[in-house]
Amino acid sequence: MHIMEGYLSLQWCIVWWLFALPCLAYGVLHLKKVMDADREALPLLGVTGGFIFLLSSLKLPTPFGSSSHPTGTGLSAICFGPWITSVVCAIVLLFQALFLAHGGLSTLGANTVSMGIIGPLVGYTMYRLLKNTSVSMYTTVFLVTAFADLSTYVVTSFQLALGAVHPATGNVVSSFIVFLGIFAITQIPIAIVEGIVLALVFKYIVQLKPDILIHLNIFSEETINAARREADGP
Amino acid sequence: MFEEFLEDIAQKNGLRQINTYLKLAGGTGAILLCLLSSSYIAPLFIAVLLTFGILFLARVDAKTYAGLFIYPFWFALMSVAGLILIYGGGTVFWSWHPTVWLSLSITRESINQGFFVFSRIIGGMSAVCFIALTTPMTDIFVVMRRCRVPGFVIDLAMIIYRTIFILMDQVRQIYYAQVMRLGYSTWRESIHSFAAMCGAAFIASWDAGDDLIRAMDARCYDGKFALLGENRPVEMRPFLALCAFLLAASAVVFASQGMTLL
Repeated sequence: MHIMEGYLSLQWCIVWWLFALPCLAYGVLHLKKVMDADREALPLLGVTGGFIFLLSSLKLPTPFGSSSHPTGTGLSAICFGPWITSVVCAIVLLFQALFLAHGGLSTLGANTVSMGIIGPLVGYTMYRLLKNTSVSMYTTVFLVTAFADLSTYVVTSFQLALGAVHPATGNVVSSFIVFLGIFAITQIPIAIVEGIVLALVFKYIVQLKPDILIHLNIFSEETINAARREADGP
Repeated sequence: MFEEFLEDIAQKNGLRQINTYLKLAGGTGAILLCLLSSSYIAPLFIAVLLTFGILFLARVDAKTYAGLFIYPFWFALMSVAGLILIYGGGTVFWSWHPTVWLSLSITRESINQGFFVFSRIIGGMSAVCFIALTTPMTDIFVVMRRCRVPGFVIDLAMIIYRTIFILMDQVRQIYYAQVMRLGYSTWRESIHSFAAMCGAAFIASWDAGDDLIRAMDARCYDGKFALLGENRPVEMRPFLALCAFLLAASAVVFASQGMTLL
């Protein structure tokens, strides 16, 4: 993920910014509602942002101007939904560009679309589908995180493929397959490990601070009690 | 994981006292000119000038700057190699079509495009590094407020900024404690230790965030962080230097339009 500064041409930078800006504006409206309604959400928003920063800073190099790393967006998507996550991600991506020279400023729009919008949207859809089913909380968190991560990389591959082909004779499909193939080597194991790690993080939250999950209506009390029994063991 | 943040360097760089808008205009102007250029010459010219500014005006340690460029340089090299195989167009020097869906070739245009993107990445990254190494985040918060970014978004950014440092501190302590107890000796142990570290750091940082909000409430926090908003005045010499840089870079962009390697 994190397409580096200068990789995309001006036209593609503008296209991805135009995609990202309305989503960010919608996210800002959601954020205002949440912050007006519940001040206690602010520290949690801060820590989910910090968590995304931390996890997505663990980068492994891959060819074609990008890198592989966990995204950490699943947690924020579950707690606050995809639109607020897009705002949190845009802030985190700006910090990463300026703190670590990871990513870029002209490519911030493209990176926000893949990591902050599409990834969390896919993860959140999965969460909504599994929330009120018999699937355990830990499995839900694992799947949400892994799919949010993988879909981020599918979108990044698409963005890189579009930016890397000849305007007249280029083959986008061929280019997309090359990018997907390269990312798959590192990203599928990373997505699985990230899913396991996030599920274990939720185990700690369930054991130490379960009230916030109920308060934010993330999981029902029965689901959390079942998860606590599962975590405590027989 | 524990690499030095550029923020730490930015807080004590030689251009710290220069007006923030001038530094941001220099960095963002350079990014824009790199993107507007159609030749590899202008981005490389911009990279050389900005590197000079970072090393001799901002007085950033050359070793630190070189270390910062290792990743982008490595990525840029791999990008060039990949682009040359994918891009196509023009005289074909070599080609391989293993399946209908996959075709790789080396052509005149692909070599030109690969080198052009390489130089654009180097130019763009030097511009991002210039902003990162000379402008602390606290100064950027002030600019965001002046640019009328909603207050609660800036507050969230400041909370995340604060939480990153709390999290890093927590992670550093827990990680060293785990390493001391052979927490990363096997793959399975590593996964458990890493998850335990993330969970514990997450909860501890969350608690620290709660404490911060309580402390701010006790000091009459009304939902808006106070920012001093201090910004140094625009001085003539830095202003003229910025104008000279942007004019020279624009001239090179204009003069080198369409120039290619082959």
